[in-house]
Amino acid sequence: MIRHLAGKVGGALVSLLFVVALGFLLFRVIPGDPVVAMTRGRPVTGDQLAELRARLGVDKPLDEQFVDYLTAALRGDFGTSYVYSRPVLELIGERLWPTVLLTGTSTVLAVVIGLWLGIRGAWRRGSRSDRVSTGLALAQWAMPTFWLGMLLSLATGDLFPSGGMRYPDTPPDFLSQAVDVAHHMVLPCLTMIAVVYAQYLLVMRSSLLEEMHADYLTTARAKGLRDDLVRRRHAVPNALLPTVTLVFLHLGLVVSGAITVETVFSWPGLGLLTYEALTGPDLPLLQGTFVVLAGAVITMNVFADLLYRVLDPRVRAS
Amino acid sequence: MSSLLELRDLSVHYRTARGEATAVRSVSLELEAGQTLGLAGESGCGKSTVAMSVLRLLPRNARVEGEVLLDGEDVQGMSWGRLRAVRWAAASVVFQGAMHALNPVHRVGEQIAEPMRLHGVTGSVSALLDQVELPARAARAYPHELSGGQKQRVMIAMALACEPRLVIADEPTTALDVVVQAQVLDVLKRLVSERGIGLVMISHDLSVLASTCDRLAVMRYGQVVEEGPAREVIASPTHPHTQALAAAFPTVGDPASRHVTPSEAPSDGPVLLRASGVRVSFGATEAVAGVDLEVRAGEIVALVGQSGSGKTTLARTLLGLQRPTAGRVLFEGVGLPRSASGLRAYRRQVQLVLQDPTSALNPRHSVYEAVAEGLRIHRVPGDEAARVAEALSQAELRPPELFFPSLPHELSGGQRQRVVIAGALALGPRLLIADEPVASLDASVRGEILALLLRLRRELGLAALVITHDLGLAWTIADRVAVMYQGELVEQGTVEQVLLSPRHDYTRTLLAAVPHDQRSTRPNWTNSP
Repeated sequence: MIRHLAGKVGGALVSLLFVVALGFLLFRVIPGDPVVAMTRGRPVTGDQLAELRARLGVDKPLDEQFVDYLTAALRGDFGTSYVYSRPVLELIGERLWPTVLLTGTSTVLAVVIGLWLGIRGAWRRGSRSDRVSTGLALAQWAMPTFWLGMLLSLATGDLFPSGGMRYPDTPPDFLSQAVDVAHHMVLPCLTMIAVVYAQYLLVMRSSLLEEMHADYLTTARAKGLRDDLVRRRHAVPNALLPTVTLVFLHLGLVVSGAITVETVFSWPGLGLLTYEALTGPDLPLLQGTFVVLAGAVITMNVFADLLYRVLDPRVRAS
Repeated sequence: MSSLLELRDLSVHYRTARGEATAVRSVSLELEAGQTLGLAGESGCGKSTVAMSVLRLLPRNARVEGEVLLDGEDVQGMSWGRLRAVRWAAASVVFQGAMHALNPVHRVGEQIAEPMRLHGVTGSVSALLDQVELPARAARAYPHELSGGQKQRVMIAMALACEPRLVIADEPTTALDVVVQAQVLDVLKRLVSERGIGLVMISHDLSVLASTCDRLAVMRYGQVVEEGPAREVIASPTHPHTQALAAAFPTVGDPASRHVTPSEAPSDGPVLLRASGVRVSFGATEAVAGVDLEVRAGEIVALVGQSGSGKTTLARTLLGLQRPTAGRVLFEGVGLPRSASGLRAYRRQVQLVLQDPTSALNPRHSVYEAVAEGLRIHRVPGDEAARVAEALSQAELRPPELFFPSLPHELSGGQRQRVVIAGALALGPRLLIADEPVASLDASVRGEILALLLRLRRELGLAALVITHDLGLAWTIADRVAVMYQGELVEQGTVEQVLLSPRHDYTRTLLAAVPHDQRSTRPNWTNSP
């Protein structure tokens, strides 16, 4: 068990290292000169530009920049943002919690809704409610996130705030703050749930459909179990197994998936930060967010693997 | 007093997209407590449908006519609540394939206890496990941690949990090897005699039923074609289908079921494949512990042994899929090549035929693709279509062009196995290694496939190493037999020598475990008859 854990964590660290290196290379390819972007709208001389380049270190040859970046990154230093002039890690730390709050809440809700509808759909396959719920989920999945977000804020009018995370004039006590944040979270949350729950629904539905013909369900029926017990005790635990992997894989991706939603609702999270960094391009900030987002995927992957071993005795044995 | 189970004019129809298909036609059967009724037939004859109808476990698209009386009460007319109360408490089922009939994520102890809690029966799981000769600690195991025979016993323990008066056992020993099969059958027989339960045994293997049942019903196309006391049905079958079923499970020692004449065996042919001192170990366990084996050109050798005896590992080693830890494998006197390309050339000479044609064939590849794949891998020059056609007709799929576009699911089990064999033949091999080539096939098809192997030997001089746990199969087609036990070959010789006058104790145990019937007088292998 410990050997397995060590192997998984070791593999994850290697992937992370790869991601750190890739983060550098990837963003040198995108068009746009950060120095030009930073000085846009201001009259600057060539000397000033050159001085700025030297200060940011972008005048050095690429391989030298890479070595500098890598050694700094391994020490945990991702540099200073061009735009904010603050350490990248500090910025990310500030923006991490709003994102975790938003994506965490919406993922938990989406998973619950998706699994529940998926189980219902599979058990009553082909029924009216199955067809409606599956069709609806697919339609929502197909919708562009930003469009759905805008549509929702149009449709709800003034009911919910459509931007930011809290009003500036909210009293500082915890309860009022929490209510205010929750109020702001309604629309981005709804948008995210509406778009992603279809995946959970479809995976759960098809995985349960596969189990529906399993012989052990006939055994359970023959024992005299009620239909809902057959489903709850025997079918669902088995059908959940492939779903767990998907949920965790997606938990990692969901952070980066929040880019659109956070941008539409100007939610001050990592997604919005990434978007802002891209318009620069604010290279150190981009590298930082890229590593954090990819790191989330890798971490969740390890978690999925470990959880799977807990849930499935067959995997535990091998 | 009504009988324990009575089927009156039972018919079952399945509604399908192509109209209604009848699976069971007017079956009437009766079973008293303390008796065993055998239900025999090939796959698709409706015997499992009959079993499922007793507890109303048929899928929703089934339509049932007639009556199923359990202790005089019609199962069809029961309310859902009454039916749930009857299920498992009055009658339970030992399902086919314990592998799938147990829930993989629950401990077997929980699964045995579940119906007891449900029906409010007091009892202990360990006592039930003890009845089927399993240790109490087996309750903590998950299904995948148990062997096939152990899982089957768990199923039986589970079936007995609520002390039902009727147990239906659907192919309880299929996929088990002879020794384990004999143990499971003994457990069932003992339960019938000790507890006076009624047992319905369903099997495609007449010899299994012959050794356990009082009465026997043979089904075909949904109808009972012959019924009577088991002894009579087997000793003097009147219906041709019963005769065919009986013939498909040859009795060792019966000259009528031996399809090889000793003169056919080329005992002086050149040695094609030789294993000398082959050992294969996985960590501390030695799967193959020093094996010397020869297969001559044109010879059929049967490698027999229980599951776990190392015969599959040996076969993999002979094919070059597994490197031996010690010893050598020689083909025509030359050691197996180690390079990938050398092994590829070697495997053109030695082809493998697997047990289950359904999983050996890619379900989305047409017959043509399946047969041509080997030709493409080995870059065999010449007209591909002509070679595929030739291989298919050698495997008796004629006319071959008709089968080109077929997908595996459109073929019968026997035809699928022929496609697998054709795929091997296309490369013009000298030796076939066949791992349980007929184990997953129906009785009537087994004979055809075996005849095909014999004909290929006669016409193409094709040698074969047949790996099997079925001594009857060895008796039918092999020239020589090698008996494998715990990684070693304990006995080797001609079929007549080994199977008629075995020298090693283990061979005697194997022979004694074969379910036997009263058709022929059995040579005396064991000291205790």
